[in-house]
Amino acid sequence: MLNYIFRRLLALIPVLLIVSLTIFLLIHLVPGDPAAAMLGENATQEQIDALHTAMGLDLPLPLQYLRWMGRLLRGDLGTSYFMKGTVNEILRDHMVPTLQQTAVAVAFAALVGVPLGMIAAVHRGRAADRLISGFSTVGVSMPSFLMGLGLVLLFSVKLRLLPSSGYKEIAVAGWRTHMRYMLLPGIALGFIEMGLIIRMTRSAVLEILSADYMRMARSKGVSRVRLFLKHALKNALIGILTVVGLSFISCLGGAAVTETIFNIPGIGKLTLNAVMRRDYEVVQAVVLVVSLLNVVCTLILDLFFAMIDPRIRLQ
Amino acid sequence: MQQETFDRRQLSRVRRELLREQRALNARRFFRNRQAVFGALVVLVMLLLAVLAPVLAPADPLAQSVANRFAKPGEAGYLLGADKLGRDLLSRILYGARVSMTVGLSVGLSSMVFGMIMGLYACYYPTLDKILMRICDGLSAIPSTLLAIALMAVLGSSIYNVITALSIVYIPRMARVSRAAALTVKEQTYIEALRSQGASSFRIIWGHIAPNILSSVVVQASYNFANSIITEAALSFLGVGVPAPQPSWGNILSEGREVITTAWWMIVYPGAATALAVMGTNIFGDGLRDILDPHSN
Amino acid sequence: MGEKILEVHNLTTRFATERGEVTAVQGISFHVDRGEILGLVGESGCGKSVTSQSILRLYDERRDVRYEGEIRFEGRNLLALPEKKMRSVRGGEIAMVFQDSLSSLDPLFTCADQIMESILIHRKISRAKARAEAVEMLRLVGIPDPEKRADQYPHELSGGMRQRVMIACALSCRPKLLIADEPTTALDVTIQAQIMELIRDLNEKLNMGVILITHDLAVVSEMCTRVAVMYLGQIVEEADVVTLFEHPLHPYTQGLLRSIPTVKGGKREELSVIEGTVPPLDRIPEGCRFRPRCPNASPLCSGQMPGLKPVGEGHRVRCFLCGGEEKEARS
Repeated sequence: MLNYIFRRLLALIPVLLIVSLTIFLLIHLVPGDPAAAMLGENATQEQIDALHTAMGLDLPLPLQYLRWMGRLLRGDLGTSYFMKGTVNEILRDHMVPTLQQTAVAVAFAALVGVPLGMIAAVHRGRAADRLISGFSTVGVSMPSFLMGLGLVLLFSVKLRLLPSSGYKEIAVAGWRTHMRYMLLPGIALGFIEMGLIIRMTRSAVLEILSADYMRMARSKGVSRVRLFLKHALKNALIGILTVVGLSFISCLGGAAVTETIFNIPGIGKLTLNAVMRRDYEVVQAVVLVVSLLNVVCTLILDLFFAMIDPRIRLQ
Repeated sequence: MQQETFDRRQLSRVRRELLREQRALNARRFFRNRQAVFGALVVLVMLLLAVLAPVLAPADPLAQSVANRFAKPGEAGYLLGADKLGRDLLSRILYGARVSMTVGLSVGLSSMVFGMIMGLYACYYPTLDKILMRICDGLSAIPSTLLAIALMAVLGSSIYNVITALSIVYIPRMARVSRAAALTVKEQTYIEALRSQGASSFRIIWGHIAPNILSSVVVQASYNFANSIITEAALSFLGVGVPAPQPSWGNILSEGREVITTAWWMIVYPGAATALAVMGTNIFGDGLRDILDPHSN
Repeated sequence: MGEKILEVHNLTTRFATERGEVTAVQGISFHVDRGEILGLVGESGCGKSVTSQSILRLYDERRDVRYEGEIRFEGRNLLALPEKKMRSVRGGEIAMVFQDSLSSLDPLFTCADQIMESILIHRKISRAKARAEAVEMLRLVGIPDPEKRADQYPHELSGGMRQRVMIACALSCRPKLLIADEPTTALDVTIQAQIMELIRDLNEKLNMGVILITHDLAVVSEMCTRVAVMYLGQIVEEADVVTLFEHPLHPYTQGLLRSIPTVKGGKREELSVIEGTVPPLDRIPEGCRFRPRCPNASPLCSGQMPGLKPVGEGHRVRCFLCGGEEKEARS
């Protein structure tokens, strides 16, 4: 197991290098001078030159990359040209609402998706299966902006049950209010993931239900309920958790859309604003941090899988 | 020597016949699969609407009419209503279909071509494989929406840049899918036999491996088609995709969001169009997958 | 011989498929005596495995399968038993060993876990005691260093070892009947012999009946006391092993026997094969099911299906032309 962890950590290095290099090149291969682009049309040449030097753009590209990496390794994400404070602080403040929203989204997707997927698998080919499979097809075809707008139209405009936008901190407004504001964005963000989770769960459970070891266990006198709870669930867990883990990442990455619709001050909105203002330092930092989170999440999941499935450790 | 060439010719003839038979079988299965046919029809109709938009659209999608701002559906000859500048919503949705279909087709095709080339050569050359797969790992570590937004930030918003950005996002996935498929084909005995008879790597890759992975590649391409329609609409919705005034389902919806309490038609119609297009493609892709890979169901 | 431990009467197993109902096993009857080894042979697709899994009712009865007939095990009709009672039969009184040991053992549980599973279901003993028994079972089936192997996972063992683990699972509750469904097809020849030796050994030691399903007649001649030959969901011939090998009557049995390579007087005999292939279950021929592949087929055979008629002491055959029906027709 230790050996496996070590190998996995080692394999992370090239991935992280590629990620950082991609993000770095993305910004620095922009046609024209980033400094000029950031300052806009009304800037004087002196202002541009000053920013140019401040950003280290005079140096050759490889050297710039090394300097950037050096700062990153010390945990310094840089400073925003447009916003107050370091990028670290800005990110920290904006990460909270996004994480809360993502948590609601993933919880919704998993709590609805996993049971539905299982029911569909157990009732393969029957009406329940067809209904659930159809629902999951609708789910995977409902991007978050559609779902978000639809939910607002129904629950806020028509029924007037839930607020149409805004964000309330738990510390200030309490849990109940916080959740009232988080429910619609969470569902909107998680809906497409729910569709995916239904599909994956269904196919994972189906595959296991017809596995030879299930027949073998039945021939030993194991009851149906135990068969499902002990053998089927444990074997299906890997497939299900993989897709749930993936959904966490795509929710984090896709939060920009729901944060725009529901006006939530999260990293998605931050990124968009930074993109509009050409605040490259912030764009770089967000993309980097979210990718890093993704990589860490995948690693934790894989280690967990290695714990339940002895075969993985050997690969 | 004589014998060898004979064997080789015969071998590839048999392979070709098998492939042809398989295709005929697949075609029959396709038309028996009602789902797939339905999906294909939806996509076909969308494509037709997009191509024929200039003929079908009742008005110029950019023509403004201050008098008819937010005309309700059916009012003043606006079948689906009008937007804040009095532009005809139906015409804008039809022209929006052009954007979606252009983006979907271009990204689907480009990811298919480049991803397949990468996958095929990766499966054949181990060093290349390592390098390409590391790059793909790195690129897919960045969540797709975020990568697309960042790319658009750098490239600037235009429909061509949307296509470029989404291709960069979807090519790594396609490369993985085709590499995995190619690896299983490559391990089959007849490829080994061809190699032992000295067939060139180009012939093996394009003559024998490529036709066999085509089915997985096409299925993935259809999903990429659907996903790029979604992502294009999302980017345009966020204001970093297709720039106004050119209509795209995403930017129509974005304008609709501002008037969600008063002009429901600005959300419902373009939303329905997006959902229908995506669902049609997804259903088509699922049908295709069931047909080409019966094992998966 | 001894008392009958299992009696199958007119068992018919039908499956619901997309193309309608398919009859995989058609009215078969046979019995197993206490402590004997019955061979069930035939080509793949002839219903051997379906028969064995029908005995334990392993198919999903709510969806896939419909049984008819009677399966009497120590007097009780298994087909009429409620699911809960049936569970105590499965693994407790009748146990089963499958063909592919890698896919038949759950990859996520250790060998000891999987053996303990049956022990804990069927006997009221503590986990610690069950574990000790599991290790003891591993020793019994000839696994060296059982203490260590007990904590290993299936993928860490060789094919032969895994098959032994599966046998240990099956035997852990001392069943009265063991059904071994091609237990050695996936193994090397030397390992095959060891596993067969083990099964025979345990059969004697535990006085347990065995149904050995195989397509390998050489194995049958070594192991079994009696043999039933199946073709397309029916038994076509049944006899004790000596009679069957010395005086096979059914053309199918004769064909099977001729296709075993033998060396007689230093000269190799020519191998023969049975022409044609087993037709799929939804295209069963009219009349005698073997007729399209039978070298002696006559017009009589296409008219109606021959019954399984006795032709001698414990010898039954399903053929118009080789004794059974003919004699009856004459008398």
